[in-house]
Amino acid sequence: MIKLNTIFDLNALHDRLISSAKPEIPTVVITAGTCGQASGANDLIRIAKREILTRGLTERLHLRVTGCHGYCEMEPSVLVEPRGTFYPNVGIDDIPEIIDAAVKGITIDSLLFKEPVTSEPVEKQSDLPFYKKQVRTILSANEKIDPIRIFNYIENDGYSALMKVFGIGKSSRIIAEIKASNLRGRGGAGFPTGLKWQFLADQPSRNGKYLVCNADEGDPGAYMDRSILEGNPHSIIEGMIIGAYATGATEGIIYVRNEYPLAIKHLLIALRQARDLGLLGENILGTGLSFDIKLVKGAGAFVCGEETALIKSIEGKMGEPRQRPPFPTQAGINGNPTAINNVETWANIPVIIRNGAESFRSIGTKNNSGTKIFSLVGKIKNTGRVEVPMGITIGEIIYDIGGGPVGKAKIKAVQTGGPSGGCIPSDKFDLTIDYDSLAEAGSIMGSGGMIVMDEHTCMVDVAKYFMNFLKEESCGKCFTCRKGTQRMYEILDDVSNGEGSLEGLELLEELANSVKDTTMCQLGQTAPNPVLSTLHYFRDEYEQHVEKGKCPAGVCRSLITYSITEKCNGCTACLRACPEEAISGKKKERHSIDQSKCTQCGACWSVCKFDAVEVL
Amino acid sequence: MKPSDVRVILNKYEEDRGGLISILEDIQAKYSYLPHDALKIVSEETGRSLVDIYGVATFYKAFSLSPRGKHLISVCMGTACHVRGAPQIAEEFERQLGIQSGGTTTDREFTLETVNCLGACALGPIVVVDGHYFSKVSTTKVKQILKNAKDRLDKISIEKDRRIFPVEVSCVRCNHSLMDPNFLVDGCPSIKVIVSFENKHGWLLLSSLYGSYKVSSEFDIPTNTIINFFCPHCNAELSSATACTACGAPMVPMIVKGGGMVQICSRHGCRSHMLDLNGINF
Repeated sequence: MIKLNTIFDLNALHDRLISSAKPEIPTVVITAGTCGQASGANDLIRIAKREILTRGLTERLHLRVTGCHGYCEMEPSVLVEPRGTFYPNVGIDDIPEIIDAAVKGITIDSLLFKEPVTSEPVEKQSDLPFYKKQVRTILSANEKIDPIRIFNYIENDGYSALMKVFGIGKSSRIIAEIKASNLRGRGGAGFPTGLKWQFLADQPSRNGKYLVCNADEGDPGAYMDRSILEGNPHSIIEGMIIGAYATGATEGIIYVRNEYPLAIKHLLIALRQARDLGLLGENILGTGLSFDIKLVKGAGAFVCGEETALIKSIEGKMGEPRQRPPFPTQAGINGNPTAINNVETWANIPVIIRNGAESFRSIGTKNNSGTKIFSLVGKIKNTGRVEVPMGITIGEIIYDIGGGPVGKAKIKAVQTGGPSGGCIPSDKFDLTIDYDSLAEAGSIMGSGGMIVMDEHTCMVDVAKYFMNFLKEESCGKCFTCRKGTQRMYEILDDVSNGEGSLEGLELLEELANSVKDTTMCQLGQTAPNPVLSTLHYFRDEYEQHVEKGKCPAGVCRSLITYSITEKCNGCTACLRACPEEAISGKKKERHSIDQSKCTQCGACWSVCKFDAVEVL
Repeated sequence: MKPSDVRVILNKYEEDRGGLISILEDIQAKYSYLPHDALKIVSEETGRSLVDIYGVATFYKAFSLSPRGKHLISVCMGTACHVRGAPQIAEEFERQLGIQSGGTTTDREFTLETVNCLGACALGPIVVVDGHYFSKVSTTKVKQILKNAKDRLDKISIEKDRRIFPVEVSCVRCNHSLMDPNFLVDGCPSIKVIVSFENKHGWLLLSSLYGSYKVSSEFDIPTNTIINFFCPHCNAELSSATACTACGAPMVPMIVKGGGMVQICSRHGCRSHMLDLNGINF
């Protein structure tokens, strides 16, 4: 790779790439993020290559492998440019046909997405209900970019924000621009990014200053950051170089959790390419700026997402948080000033610089500008990653974008903010998405996990799940967190076993409030949220467990029994599925369950196609 | 465990005093766990107390102090997987394998672990076996997953697999075909190149099937050796400016008939490769 020595070199490279691009040649885009690969995208890529080569189509058709586009439910999917034709759930046998059609410039109606109500085929990705209400200022780039090719990023105006910054030439003006955009930290707490940068810029540099990208996306049920890391790693690198120029930082660190192997791979490639091209290292593009980024892998500790714990982990120590102040911008990694921003925050930086703070502010609401990415998962039809303007309502996300419930069961709540967040009941779905209103409702914005729950989800079980998670992940430094989460879990376990009491619920609430007030870091302070919010909005479910010994959602095993009704036609599916051999019955005759053997695992219920298994 | 191997890992991080977690990750990658003797060497070389090192090793979930099985099964317990029945999946694995989560079967075939979230929430419940993702897993699929894992998930059948196809390649310098119809590999004409490493110089035949990694060569080539490739016709070195995305070794380019370029990693044993249909494009 030829090293770029000046800003003009980069500009010339960009122009050369644009002029040599052939947008008139159709391109088959295959999505191959982790979700795509898990659904078989790698096989599609192989078959596509085989077809293009053996049929001599290399001059007439291009192939692009990209990260995730967001509509995970439809993976593996194929997009054909320039028409924007979207083919969902593609199998390897469909590929030759799709390639044929792409070369001819036609579409295959039978493979298109079908509108759920009318069953009419929808051709263009942008016309799908899932995408219509989204504003994809960050995610839309994922379609255009092969993440392992830096030229692809540059061709799509990548590193143009960096050129602009070098052109402006004054670090104070960059910080002013970020401040003017009102960008708030996308990790969940919503601290103004411009202000944080100002703090770092104001610090004297003795042994260097650090910028950190917090990619330790530990919230279970959230994967927004992963898809940016996998699909557009250069946007983060560009954001960090801009940050270094603005704040005088000398070293950058991307801290990624090791559960994301593909993200790590793509980041390492991107960092190497950026370094080879001269965008990282000494005297970047001849501007005098020297800045490099290294990648540090996490090792599986949720608490390391907390900034002081993250710093300890980068230093190679146990990830225990410490008291603030001093804040990391004053004393961070090895005592040096350090600013930590989340992945999505970094990805917003090039967008703000490129389009200007005003354009960024025009999206969203007054104190909550820009877009926010959510991972919409759980009991919802269109699972996937959505980018919406701040200020949209929860209901719009769940029903208009998410398409509502999967089956007949009604949606009863949505959980936001991971283990630090809370459950918001369906009668509050007109709530707008912003940092303040979610906090008011007893949850938090968090990093963007949105887990939808329906009537078959037990809220006691959800609270117990989070408490189990938190008691495992508590670092143990504060007594109230270590023992408090443990004890809250035990009380919840009793409730789910039918051994709870009303006094126990009161104790639980009191304990939750004590833990909130008496722990040091955010993990402990927010740990009671799942308990308090479910107690607040779904107290009746708790009471039914305690008073009637019933789990209305049919989840808590000690409180339910499975039985087979007269709807059974003797298909033997449940009999074969039962791991305990508790089901007996002849073919084409009604089956029955031996309650003494049944462990309430629910295997029979999940395989029955005739609604014949009943939960009581 | 060889002390010299541990020292090689330590040397990599000599200048990075914060690199303890990376050091332990590398040791675990080599031995599948953290042997006590290895940690003792780490302590001696880094000057950090053994207590300190054990503190870190036990704080982070990714580390194991006991040997793990040949196959690693990770059941995702993220919230999205949980509400879709992940606990039952984990239980079914426990039942089938006769071990608790976190444990290893007595024959050292399988280690079962639960992880907090693998970030593929839309496809839950998710199970990852040896790096292969299984999506929307149900309890009835568990048995088959275990069977597939035992049969090796990366095994490919050259004859039947439609993902495998022949390519014809030529030299990037002289454009002379590199195909040798006289020597067959995988039943197809092979790709013949000249290689040199460690003062040795000779021929190497590569399978021309894209997706097969079979080679035959004049000498035994030790794994991990970086080899220099040459065209047998114009003697030019086949080398590109691209580095292997997996290991950083230089890539070896060849022109593909029909259009495009294939690049393979020059490190023996590294399976990394790239097939660009529209010319090399970084």
